[in-house]
Amino acid sequence: MSETTFMSVQRDKIPWFPTIDYNKCTFCMECDTFCPHHVYERRHGDPKLVVANPNNCVVFCRACSKTCGPEALSFPDKTKILAQIKQIRAGESVK
Amino acid sequence: MIRAILACSGLDKPEGSVAREVAIRVAAATGSEIICPVLLNRAPARYKKALGESALIVVDGCPTRCASKLATTLQATVDRKVLISDAVKATGRSLKPALTLAPDDLALTQSIVDELLRNLNAPTPVEELASAFESPTEYIVVAHDKFEFRIPAVDYLFNENDVWVRALDGVARVGISDYMQQKLTDINYFDSPKADGTVAQFGELGTLESAKAVFEIIAPASGAIVAVNPAVVANPGLINEDPYGAGWLVELKLTAWQQDIELLVDGGAYADVVKRKAAED
Repeated sequence: MSETTFMSVQRDKIPWFPTIDYNKCTFCMECDTFCPHHVYERRHGDPKLVVANPNNCVVFCRACSKTCGPEALSFPDKTKILAQIKQIRAGESVK
Repeated sequence: MIRAILACSGLDKPEGSVAREVAIRVAAATGSEIICPVLLNRAPARYKKALGESALIVVDGCPTRCASKLATTLQATVDRKVLISDAVKATGRSLKPALTLAPDDLALTQSIVDELLRNLNAPTPVEELASAFESPTEYIVVAHDKFEFRIPAVDYLFNENDVWVRALDGVARVGISDYMQQKLTDINYFDSPKADGTVAQFGELGTLESAKAVFEIIAPASGAIVAVNPAVVANPGLINEDPYGAGWLVELKLTAWQQDIELLVDGGAYADVVKRKAAED
């Protein structure tokens, strides 16, 4: 189940989740096996793995990328995400 | 100190070739026994003595970290770890895709060996700057099923990534919450940050590993890392035993505390976070 808020901000307003580089991914599924939050989902079709539940991803956690042998997972820049969270908390609109 | 080395034997990747070479060179320099991961996996009894009596150095090739996982599965106590892909990145260079190491790859390998040997010979990291931190006496208790999660009622602030910070005269101690240590179960390795580095709020302060998970320690505050808890490096189980006291992880010299506080919650508010997370587990 997804966290509904993070630091008092609606989780779905925070674009923090992994991106899979399909040119590198070997579909070993280590990340999916590792992640307890069901961010990833295995598919029968192509691609065999997708980021199905991005809002389940724990904001600022990148632990799954440390399990990725081919280094196919990337995350947004923390500083930018933090700035967005601060803006939202301050009641400003995010550009 | 008697040492043993468990290294990735990654025969299909250049990082594996480097890991193997690092193991051979470190073993030669320290008189350590080399443990073959394949044989260890097949017949763990062969290395029972080495694992039981030696300080174990684990050398992983790539982030799949097969050697680390093998050590965890066998409940071996790890003294030091090196991840070759990270060590290579730290030098600002990259490996050629070939499995046979070229002369410049071997030079890079030697620099990783030198760094590891320096770390092995270095005294346990840095002195404690502040010793006036006392363990909490008053707790908020969040009960969920058969579990009870304790949260200090005062003095401790938290980020929503389950990391606490306690500040005193411009210096702060950092650790993980009782909820997170219970969730991780027995912690067997603290991959600590460098004691002379700096960290921004929500940056990374190393990782904790248990048989169940790897946990990225998200910094609750910005600052210079002035101490890493040597007792926890030597015995990560202290985090499970006393997460708010003896199990502290690092000390920071705070650089933006008044600003950082705005994004932290107190014990009462963190109790609500724990209630929500426990309900979702």
